[in-house]
Amino acid sequence: MKRFDCLKSLAAMLDPKTIVVTNIGPISREWNALRPSDANLLQVNLGLCAAVGLGVAVSLPHRQVVMLDGDGNLLLNLASLADLANQNLTKVVHVVLDNESYEGGGGLKSATAGKADLAAIARGAGIANATVVTTVDEFGIAARHGLDHPGHHFIVAKVEKGSVAKLPTLTLDGKEAKYRFARYIESTEGVEILRPRYTHI
Amino acid sequence: MEAAAVDAVVDGLKKSGVDFISLMPDSDFSVLQARVANDQHFTYVPVSNEAIGVGVCAGAWLSGKRPALLVPTSGLLEAAWPLTSLCMAWSLPLLLLIPYRGDIGDAFWLMGPYKDTTEPLLKVLNTPYRVISKNEEISKAIVDAQGSTISWQRPVAVLLTGETIK
Repeated sequence: MKRFDCLKSLAAMLDPKTIVVTNIGPISREWNALRPSDANLLQVNLGLCAAVGLGVAVSLPHRQVVMLDGDGNLLLNLASLADLANQNLTKVVHVVLDNESYEGGGGLKSATAGKADLAAIARGAGIANATVVTTVDEFGIAARHGLDHPGHHFIVAKVEKGSVAKLPTLTLDGKEAKYRFARYIESTEGVEILRPRYTHI
Repeated sequence: MEAAAVDAVVDGLKKSGVDFISLMPDSDFSVLQARVANDQHFTYVPVSNEAIGVGVCAGAWLSGKRPALLVPTSGLLEAAWPLTSLCMAWSLPLLLLIPYRGDIGDAFWLMGPYKDTTEPLLKVLNTPYRVISKNEEISKAIVDAQGSTISWQRPVAVLLTGETIK
């Protein structure tokens, strides 16, 4: 199963207002090509995709949040799963595109190439809706179910290593990503995020 | 931490607009932590390590909250990478409250190394900070730090020492 095909399937079913937090590396480039949007928070560094997604989901509990995580990213801070579970989130789909390797870092194997089972770990952490999919059809069904049913859904998609040719270059850095996402949240939520102070407190 | 110090911290957090607290449970802040956990003013997200806490606060701020991270002294070391890879790289604000174990006057030998790491690490991370030793100074220090972190778009820390963490 190719990661790009899973993401293509997901992109076709998302509401434009769905917030998507993505792992740094090929996942961000592929997702940006498939669903360019200021509702994306791309390129979240190792160990932090789930943590940042947790902060977003707790802060905006009425918004659908999708995390496009990687096995290496999640493995670094596995405890994020326990912290996520304890918040009893109702509109979260956490996808791990598990290629059993650190593809963005040279391609060496991750722990999921060995004995680690992320879905079992997620269930142990308290996320009951944890499943493993191995075909694009299964992925589409699981993602659709997660989006249509309240709860916290955890999907491990076993994907091949490798991306697709001719992806557009991702030209935004973290600072631009911050401004674009924060301005998007300001406009869709009616809140003020970016406001420098001009006077002494 | 005595009641007067806890009151002063909560006062400062509320005056500065903080509405979201993430923390790793820690003995020095335990009374404060219990207080904010039970205060409906704050969205409360306990985490299992401080690196996760930095990520959670980043997501919260980007989503319109005004977060603060309560960091155990040793936990600043755990938080160092995401403070770099997220807060520095993305220019994100974050109010850090840190009990300054290992400061001069802290007799517990195990805390000694944190005198060597805490302030130097904040300097390396380009994180401005104030060291507060009097309860009466806590609230304004938090308000000032929160105003600065928002304006400067980088983390700002308040280190609590002396009578403030007795």
